[in-house]
Parts: sequence; structure tokens; C-alpha cells
Amino acid sequence: MENSSSNLSSLPEEDSQNGGTAAQSASKSPSAFSSKPDRPPIQAPSQKYAPLDWSDYFDQEDDVHIPDSENVFHFYKAGNEGPVVLCLHGGGYSGLSFALSAKLIKEKARVVALDLRGHGKSSTENDLDLSIETLCNDVVAVVKTMYGDSPPAIVMVGHSMGGALAVHIAAKKVLPSLAALVVVDVVEGTAMASLIHMQQILSNRMQHFSSIEKAIEWNIKGGSLRNVDSARVSIPSTLIYDDSRKCYTHRARLVETEQYWRGWYEGLSQKFLASPVPKLLLLAGTDRLDKTLTIGQMQGKFQMVVVRHTGHAIQEDVPDEFANMILNFISHNRIGPHGVVIPGLRRPSQ
Amino acid sequence: MDAPVASTGGGGTNGNLDEQIAQLVQCKPLSEPEVRVLCGKAKEILMQESNVQPVKSPVTICGDIHGQFHDLAELFRIGGKCPDTNYLFMGDYVDRGYYSVETVSLLVALKVRYPQRITILRGNHESRQITQVYGFYDECLRKYGSANVWKTFTDLFDFFPLTALVESEIFCLHGGLSPSIETLDNIRNFDRVQEVPHEGPMCDLLWSDPDDRCGWGISPRGAGYTFGQDISEQFNHTNNLKLIARAHQLVMEGFNWAHDQKVVTIFSAPNYCYRCGNMASILEVDDCKGHTFLQFEPAPRRGEPDVTRRTPDYFL
Repeated sequence: MENSSSNLSSLPEEDSQNGGTAAQSASKSPSAFSSKPDRPPIQAPSQKYAPLDWSDYFDQEDDVHIPDSENVFHFYKAGNEGPVVLCLHGGGYSGLSFALSAKLIKEKARVVALDLRGHGKSSTENDLDLSIETLCNDVVAVVKTMYGDSPPAIVMVGHSMGGALAVHIAAKKVLPSLAALVVVDVVEGTAMASLIHMQQILSNRMQHFSSIEKAIEWNIKGGSLRNVDSARVSIPSTLIYDDSRKCYTHRARLVETEQYWRGWYEGLSQKFLASPVPKLLLLAGTDRLDKTLTIGQMQGKFQMVVVRHTGHAIQEDVPDEFANMILNFISHNRIGPHGVVIPGLRRPSQ
Repeated sequence: MDAPVASTGGGGTNGNLDEQIAQLVQCKPLSEPEVRVLCGKAKEILMQESNVQPVKSPVTICGDIHGQFHDLAELFRIGGKCPDTNYLFMGDYVDRGYYSVETVSLLVALKVRYPQRITILRGNHESRQITQVYGFYDECLRKYGSANVWKTFTDLFDFFPLTALVESEIFCLHGGLSPSIETLDNIRNFDRVQEVPHEGPMCDLLWSDPDDRCGWGISPRGAGYTFGQDISEQFNHTNNLKLIARAHQLVMEGFNWAHDQKVVTIFSAPNYCYRCGNMASILEVDDCKGHTFLQFEPAPRRGEPDVTRRTPDYFL
């Protein structure tokens, strides 16, 4: 299926890895293999899969305490101008899933990437309540606490579960400054069809890792992430250390949240079409549209881009392309820091 | 597309072409050399046509087909065979359906055989970039083992006319109007032989949609514009037009009037993508310029591939 007409290869990590870590490996004693003259130096897995710090990509991290609650949400910020690109990660990921793309988006917009309830460094009264209502309320409360009554224009970007969440929030019309919606690789029809496989998929995941490096390596080798650098910065935040077992395990306890899964996706396609802001749907590899979205797309109701040579986490696998698409979408729809700016173009309000 | 194109292989007789058409009507694709020769001849014909190709009535105007070959066959059963009926197709022959190759081959073959009887405009899917995402490229690879046929066709697409004008009063095109175009002469004057650009007047003609809101709007599609009734009225007035006929949008009844009957959308792919449940239609314009819409449903299916798709191995 891979065609040579595209140069969007998802393999550059091999080269950049070798180049990037050559200097680091110099301090270590060379392995037996690396002494062979006709080969590039071989990296020990511990170097190739070494964690990277969030600060290489974001400007700042912080917590927001929701008033009158024990809920504290962690977020990462980058950039000083333009609309706020509010990033909502998928189930099991964290805000750092957007790290590599944030570094590029921040040139023209302000990125805020949240750790959702039960994920990353956020802590809440009930980390297992991943009902769509609770998740929606969390995001709305975070925006309100951060920006008060005069929030900037918000471009909400959600991946997978976070994409569903973004659609539900948009449909509720509870963010008055919402300027646009970007949904990454989730469609109601196919998500619902795959629900029955979810527990299987979760139980097939490796559960325990002797080190963070091993977890990064497992994600790359298993193919769930294709960009080593992204995995190096995003995976550590999806793990917690289990003191009793002396190993790392998944931070988000997704297996225990099954009762909420249907709620994430039910009615998603209708809600997506009904939200009155400009909409961009990014799909990985193939067109997964269900009937409702096929009709909507063929009626020109939203923009769709099928991104090739990427896995499910488009923002991690091809961050450059992802960032470009976000910025082009923002500029095409003329979204400034305070909303839509249209010099000379009439666009009557809805 | 250079040396060996028009002169070799095909023989050049209509007999040969008639055989190919008979084969295509059976939904059997041509060989790669046959496609090359056919497209060479088509290019000679299409490059002579105007950006605003004049068309006489009676003519039957058709919208998107999208590789739904059996529905195209149904369209010809309902509208009449070419050349007994004159046809004007407004683009989007390829992608999405399973028989883009056979569909576009047949239409191009009919164009070469009966150049005065059929007009084939360019749609936004007649483009190198779009066809690589929505199926035509993969279909060519699957059916021919290489991308050569895809390249031959997409090179030919550059020559398709962008718009047509029926009896000086019905302006036909795939998408819609452009803020950069006030008159038909504006369209006549630009060089269309190129890949569909990402923006500008040529892009707009293939991507824009009419809208309930007045004025120009940013298109939710990410390309082209939306245009309101005021824009349509002004354009029709300026250019002495009665009607803009266009395709590009799925409409559940197969046709849909807009802008106080200044604009009509025609969509000719029933049950689009084998899942949308919509009717299709074509518009007959008779000798007296009267309009009749003929609606039709999906043709009975014979051994079409199963449309159920593999569920993704993710959900989070």
C-alpha cells in the first residue's frame, strides 16, 4: 500500500535517531558491535528509547485547581499569540501526545494541552469517572478557571476519545469563544463497531514494564506509535510506578471504565455536523466515514483530510504535517485571537 | 504521453472504437495500451474545446458518478443511449465507487466516438492529488499493476473543459462561482491545462457551493467559497443566464433547487458510496429549453464487493 509518490515517510526517526544520539553514545563505552568499521554505531535500547523532557517542546507546565473541588488538572502551554489551540488527548494518552506538534503550532497560535481526568499528572476526586458528561464538565471548568469571563478564541483539537469529547463540548455550546473544531481519527460508526474489541485490545497490551525505556520501546515496536521522539516524550506521562510490583504500569485505568465507552461515541456524527463552527476531520490512512458523515462530507459541511503513512495518533506520528494542517485550517478560516476576522468578506452570523 | 500516442495501436477506425465501447459497456476495462491510445485521441478533441464549452439543446445534464458504473449504465437506460441522447456530464467520474476505471474509460471513449454528442467537464476529483486519496489511484494499481493508467488519465483530466453553456442560458459546471470571476469571458481567458490548484478562480469553479447566507463565505470544505442568492442573481444577470446547473453536493432527491431557481444541484450517483440512501437524477433540457428531471434509484447489483470494512484496531 505504501506508494512512492509521497515523501511523507514515517521513518525519519531512524536517521534522526542515529544522528541525534551519536553524541550521547560517545560518553558510553562502545559495544562490541560498534567497533565494526562498516556499520553505524548501534544504540543500546536504553539510549534509543530514553525519555525526553516536556520542556523541549512546551514553554510551561502548570496546574489548574477547579474551585470548590479537589480536582486539579495539569496542562502544558506553548506560544504567545493567536487563538488558543486546546488539545484533548485520546484515552490512555496524555497532553504530551501533542508535544512535537505543539512546538510547531506555537509559532502562530497558543497551544494548551490538557491531561484529562484519570490521565497524566491530573488528579481528581474520582479518576475512574470517565463519563462523557464528567469529561465535558472538566474541560469547561478548566477553560473557565483559566480564562474567566473573557476567554480567547478557542480551536478545540481532540484525538480519538478526546475528539469525541471535543464534539460533545461543541454540541453543548458551552464554550462561547469556540471558533473551530478539529477531530483526529475518530468516527462514530467505526468506533461503535470496534467497541466489542476494546477489552481484548486493552488486555493484549503489555501491562508491566521494568523501565520507562521498555515501555517506549514496546509502543514503537508494537506499532502503536511510529515516531520515536514523540514516544520518548509522551509515553512516560502515561505510566505510573507500581511500588508493590517494582515496575511501571499504565496510569489510566481504562479497563475499569467500560461503562462509559458507548457514551463517548453515541450520536457523535450528528453532533459533529450540527456544531456551527468550522470543522476539520483528520483521518489516518483510510476513509472511515459512516453514513451520516459521508452525506455530510458530500454536502460540503466540513473539511476532511485523509493523512497517509501514519498510525492512529496522527499528531505524534507526523507532527510536522499535523501542525501545518492545524495552522492552515486556522488561517483559511481566518481565526484570530478574538475570533473570526474577515476583512472584505461578508459572513453573516448563524 | 509523448511519441507513441496517437499514431500506433488503435487503428483509428470507429469499428475498433465501437468494439471498445461494447467491451466497456460490459464493465470490462481496456488494456493499458488501449487506454493510452484512447486518451491521446481524447486529448486532441478536448484541447480544442473552450473553458466555457457551448452546447446545444436537447441535452441531458448529469452530476457526479464516482465510479458507480452500474448506476451509470442505469442512467443510460433511463436517459437514452449515447448518441441517441446528447449528454453533458459535470465531473466527478472517479473515486469512491469500485469502477472508476471502467466509468471514466467509457465516458472518454464516448467522447472520442461522438465528440459532438457528449460533453465531459472536469470535477474536483479529476485531479492527481484527490484521486490518490479517494480510490482511483489504488484502483488503477489494482487493475493494471502499475500507476501508468492513472497517470494517463490524470494527464488527460488537465484538458477537460471547466464549464459549459447550454443555448447561452444554462451555465453548467461542477462546483460553483468564484469571487474572482464576474463574467464568462473571465473564464474563457485563463489557461486551464494544469492540475486543479489549491486556490484561485479555477479551484473555485470546481469546489464552491451555493449557500442560504448572502454574499461570499469561507467554504467549510477548505477550498472554494460559498455564495449566496445575491451573488447568483448578479452573476446570472451580468451574463444573461437563466440558470446555473452544478453538481458536487449530495442531494437526497437527486436534484435540488436553490436561490429562487437561479441555481440547481444535480447528483447522479444513487445510494452514494453504497451507503447514503439518496436518489439520483439527471436533467433533460428539450428543444424548447423545457426542463424535466428524471430520478432513479441504484441499479440492481451483480457481484459488487462487500462494502463492510474492517473495524479499526484502535478505539482510544
